[in-house]
Amino acid sequence: MAWRRLIITLAVIAPVLWLLVFGFQRDARYIKTPLIAKQATPFAVTLFDGGKLSLSDLRGKAVFLNFWASWCPPCREEARDLEAAWQKVKDKNLLFLGVALQDTEKDSRAFLEEFKVTYPNGRDESGKVAVDYGTWGIPESFFIDPQGRITYKHVGAIRAALVVSKLEEAAKGIVSAQEGKGDVSPVR
Amino acid sequence: MARYLIIALLLFSSSSILAADAPDLEDQTRAVSTDLRCVVCQNLSVADSPSDMAQQMRAIVREQLQAGKTPQEVKDFFVSKYGEWVLLKPATHGFSLLVWVVPFVALLIGLGLGVFFIRRWAAKKRAAPPAAADPKLLARVREEFANAEPEELDLEDPSPRAQLLQERSRLYADLKELEFDYQAGKLSQADYVDLRRDIETKAATVLGNLDEMAVSAARRPQAAKETEVVQPKPGLRGWQVAAGGVFLLIFGLTLGVVLTNSLKPRGGEGDSITGDFLTGTGAPGMGNVAALLQEGKTAFDKQEFSKAIEAFKKVLVAEPNQPEAHSYMGFILMQAGHGDGALMAFDKALTQAPNLPMALWGKGMVLYQEKKDFAGARVVLEKLLQLTPQGPERNEIVKVLAEIPTGNQKPQPTAKAAPPVAASSAQISGRITIDPKLKASVDPNATLFIIARPAAAGGPPLAVKKIDRPTFPLPYSLGAENMMTQGMPFSGKMNIAVRLDKDGNPTTRDAGDLSGDYKKNPVEVGTKNVDVVLDQLAK
Repeated sequence: MAWRRLIITLAVIAPVLWLLVFGFQRDARYIKTPLIAKQATPFAVTLFDGGKLSLSDLRGKAVFLNFWASWCPPCREEARDLEAAWQKVKDKNLLFLGVALQDTEKDSRAFLEEFKVTYPNGRDESGKVAVDYGTWGIPESFFIDPQGRITYKHVGAIRAALVVSKLEEAAKGIVSAQEGKGDVSPVR
Repeated sequence: MARYLIIALLLFSSSSILAADAPDLEDQTRAVSTDLRCVVCQNLSVADSPSDMAQQMRAIVREQLQAGKTPQEVKDFFVSKYGEWVLLKPATHGFSLLVWVVPFVALLIGLGLGVFFIRRWAAKKRAAPPAAADPKLLARVREEFANAEPEELDLEDPSPRAQLLQERSRLYADLKELEFDYQAGKLSQADYVDLRRDIETKAATVLGNLDEMAVSAARRPQAAKETEVVQPKPGLRGWQVAAGGVFLLIFGLTLGVVLTNSLKPRGGEGDSITGDFLTGTGAPGMGNVAALLQEGKTAFDKQEFSKAIEAFKKVLVAEPNQPEAHSYMGFILMQAGHGDGALMAFDKALTQAPNLPMALWGKGMVLYQEKKDFAGARVVLEKLLQLTPQGPERNEIVKVLAEIPTGNQKPQPTAKAAPPVAASSAQISGRITIDPKLKASVDPNATLFIIARPAAAGGPPLAVKKIDRPTFPLPYSLGAENMMTQGMPFSGKMNIAVRLDKDGNPTTRDAGDLSGDYKKNPVEVGTKNVDVVLDQLAK
């Protein structure tokens, strides 16, 4: 009888506790992407050097796509790492593309100059590309394999070593099960 | 006339039909946006949020509706990008269905349990019909009642027998009252008979119990008292107390550990405010931040770097973008040889305060010394120069700028390039000894740091000399070659301090570390016989 009561009591308490723990451990701000292992949405941006670049032109190459803004501290934090990673891989069949969002052209250019960014960068003036990639906090980085499939997403500042390794994985078509997370600024 | 009227009616009706077929695009946009969650601001719809992102999302909604997509297709588009999260009303299928169903299921279970317990409680309360009492006992009750004399009872006695005697006395009193009421005509014959039978039956049961108790007491006179003691007392059972205790423990642990670990300090305007309240880490008042910043600066000046780091970290938890704290962290990282980290810290400071002199200076020197990015260093230091008024600080910036090579030239090591005479005169020298009382505390494997800090400005050390496994007394000299940032002039008045560190890590102060200051600080560069005694022992 006592055991039965104990079991009933625990059966009532356990789900409540589980709900409590589950609720408090979740980051309500975090939005898990449904895009991993899906085809990357094609888009075209005007680059800061005046040229145009379309994602569909890059088929056959693994692509590192980075959303950033000059006002975002974690973007500044990762800027040198990204350039260092680019210097490591630029001679391989891999491509970097930066997309500035919610930023003025002047500020974006100053940022690129300050951090001596040499890989292609453009602007998402309408914000459509950002929505196409489900961005909610910047920087956000996407790794796309040569077949145009998203293999990995990283929200927040990313280190050079991780960029290189995930890009190499993308080149081989390896899809990561989990997305990564670092310091992040919510978009405005 | 009638023809015009018909045409007018037709026109009116057709325009109404057209209007009904094509509702206002803005209304549709608003309706769809109301069902979408803003990805920036929690719990606001895209329609209600003033953020840039929500505006962009509204524009996309409008554009897609205009292109002929149905509201559901537009919502599906956003779900394909952000997942079900983006819907303010979760879907009524799949896993999300639980969100709709579980509250009602829980409500039903709650109601069911409520009904169950209330019925059980009511059933217990409802007195079972009294069993037919023994006629002999009933006769005894009537006899005792007729001859009842008021008896003195010990109301404090908690024993079962005393309780039964009290019950018997109470029942006899009830019978007496019943008789009185009946005689006074307050009760009908039928009620009187029913109530009297009821009370007599209860009294007979009590008498029966008293008899049983007397018999068992006679059989086991020795154990009688023990029996009374062993009687179960009403109250909580052991397992109930244990279960309650376990629940409270788990609940406390959940709140104390999981909750505080899962909550984060406030990081910005959009963050939850609960973290600050519950963890006590976030957003201390402005006065507290200022006090922490001052604590960090003081620790930094004293070279207690671990303490300084701790204080600056607390400042950054409260104000993640506090530029001074970032700058100081930059100087600490620079000193520890982490050029990249230092640069990052100065960049963070400059993001918030683009003209902060200390951050500009730090960034310029890291770019110059660590990164060999001479052009970058020049840009930063020239900006600092524009912000700095005339004075010794400006002169120093000018000097450093003059030393920075143009193009890809390697930097000229200032100290070596300087004339030998100037180098030797730009020194502080003396002897370091140990306080005789502390000789036993000297670790032969410790590392000695001789530190010079500018007397006027305080702040980070200007020059440091490191000597492994020193022997005392130790003659020393400190000059431009020991500057933390090469190229800076070693001039002016300095405060000299010495530290004998057991683990060789200047950022930590451990028990057993020795330290000492020059007693006549500050000293002018060029002074000799600056003798320092290691006379303080860290505990």
